[in-house]
Amino acid sequence: MPAVVVEHLAKSYEGNQAVEDVTFEVAEGEVFALLGPNGAGKTTVIEILEGFRRRDRGRVEVLGYDPANQGTSRELREHMGVVLQELAVEPFLSVRQALTRNAGYYPNPRPVDEVLELVGLSEKSDDRVKSLSGGQQRRLDLGLGIVGSPRLLFLDEPTTGFDPSARRGAWEVVRALTGGGTTVVLTTHYMDEAEALADRVAVIDAGRIVAEGAPGSLGGRDVGETTIRFRLPGTAGAPPLPVDARVSGGGAFEIKTDREVEVLAALTNWALREQVDVVGLTVERLTLEDVYLRLTGHAPDAGDPSGAAERQ
Amino acid sequence: MGDVVLMARQVYYEQLNFWLNPIGAVFTVGFSVIFLLLVGSSAGHQRSSALGGGLLISYYVPGFIAYGVMAACFNSLTINLVVRREMGLLKRVRLSPLPAWAMMAAVSANALIISVVQVVLVLLIGRFGYGVPFPHNLLALVVVLVVGAASFTALGLGTSTLVPNQEAGAPITSVVFFVLLFLSGLWFPLAASSGLAKFSSYLPVRHMIVAVYDASIAQKGVSSWPWHDLVVMAAWGVVAAAVAARRWSWAPRQARSGRGRRLSGTGAAGRRRSQ
Repeated sequence: MPAVVVEHLAKSYEGNQAVEDVTFEVAEGEVFALLGPNGAGKTTVIEILEGFRRRDRGRVEVLGYDPANQGTSRELREHMGVVLQELAVEPFLSVRQALTRNAGYYPNPRPVDEVLELVGLSEKSDDRVKSLSGGQQRRLDLGLGIVGSPRLLFLDEPTTGFDPSARRGAWEVVRALTGGGTTVVLTTHYMDEAEALADRVAVIDAGRIVAEGAPGSLGGRDVGETTIRFRLPGTAGAPPLPVDARVSGGGAFEIKTDREVEVLAALTNWALREQVDVVGLTVERLTLEDVYLRLTGHAPDAGDPSGAAERQ
Repeated sequence: MGDVVLMARQVYYEQLNFWLNPIGAVFTVGFSVIFLLLVGSSAGHQRSSALGGGLLISYYVPGFIAYGVMAACFNSLTINLVVRREMGLLKRVRLSPLPAWAMMAAVSANALIISVVQVVLVLLIGRFGYGVPFPHNLLALVVVLVVGAASFTALGLGTSTLVPNQEAGAPITSVVFFVLLFLSGLWFPLAASSGLAKFSSYLPVRHMIVAVYDASIAQKGVSSWPWHDLVVMAAWGVVAAAVAARRWSWAPRQARSGRGRRLSGTGAAGRRRSQ
């Protein structure tokens, strides 16, 4: 049974169609990322899955439950963990008090000491929440998300606003937490985050899914164009290439092609035969960013982290 | 696990969160004591014609009991809820298995406990500091405190849905609260026939002050069971509860920075329909 099923989901607020038509599935144990710019509808989708918002249309099943069903909502929440974008824990409680309080909401919580260990806050367990750094508070948030031993964990923009090293630290914690078969649904506007954490990615833009697949093959990037770059010394001639190359000053070549094996063979055979020094040869697939640009027609938005445009 | 136990645990954590916040604790609990001492020391021994020649201190003790209940159940609760809502804390509770009723009950019970602490402190200081006798009709006082706490808690819940954001929350609520206290005769007794008394009788604050006073001080021709005041407070409570139910939101009302930044250009805005 898939952990999450979404079919033709739609939701609008005050005349703004935040989610037009979204369909996807998440298998149990999978890490699934919903990638898109702010205002794309990611937060709305995840809030509907969490049971926090009511959908207008479509079918949604989370761990077999309909999140809009009030009768089963408590049962669903007992199997669910959530890490929200904003850091928010009562500031005067200690780390241990916050975790112990939340553990008490669940039927089978993880031992608090185990959670402290997992998120790396064992030494800070008696410190007040307000004295923690931003990164430490985020780790506490992650701890609160998993203290209930959830079968499904929602991470809503988990590293927004973090510096690169703090982000990598958070990813490590997420990877450690999700080993044990927990299903993870993550929203993000960071390409590298989707690539680092997810088994599968769905790109969402303006309320619709525009592409879905493993990060490595999303948008056909594993079979699409490759960019080959290299430099030749001025004395060398031109290599006999089967495709056109763009040449800029200083002998820098750039070739975009889907016949990369042919091109490389032609180049390298020629270079070996003529004993030409090929410098700085690189072969690159489309980055996820390129794919994103092609799919949505605009660059991903790395500026506004709040997703506030969709929230009302 | 029994839900009652769950609620009781939540009350424990609400209490922890209150008492561990030194500023909050001092402002809410400390003020009733501080005000009583200040006002009592300066004017307490004077007599007031509005009280039929009675000592002002005997007015201030019940007055600050009323204040304590209203400060905890209305002022402090409203601010607390607004801040938590805007910080996203209410949303988090809603996403946890803690039932909404348990959360609300715990928040209300927390306010009640803080009220009781203040009532006890003020009564003890009144009795042993100023020789003001313990309340004349203790049972009536308990009923007044319960009805008052419930009504003002409802007013707190309702008002929290009317305050627009967390920066304005504390100043607006506190200013309104203190102005109302002034107009309702907390700082100086109002003659029953005065314009101010008539005006403030439409609002619940004066009724709490009068109700506590009538239950505490025996007066000729005045019942120590202030039914009229209890009914007015209860009516306000019911209206406030209806407002709260209608307007309640677990999600923050105000979006964070970056609000209104919609995608423009290439297709995205064009694809949104306005219907």
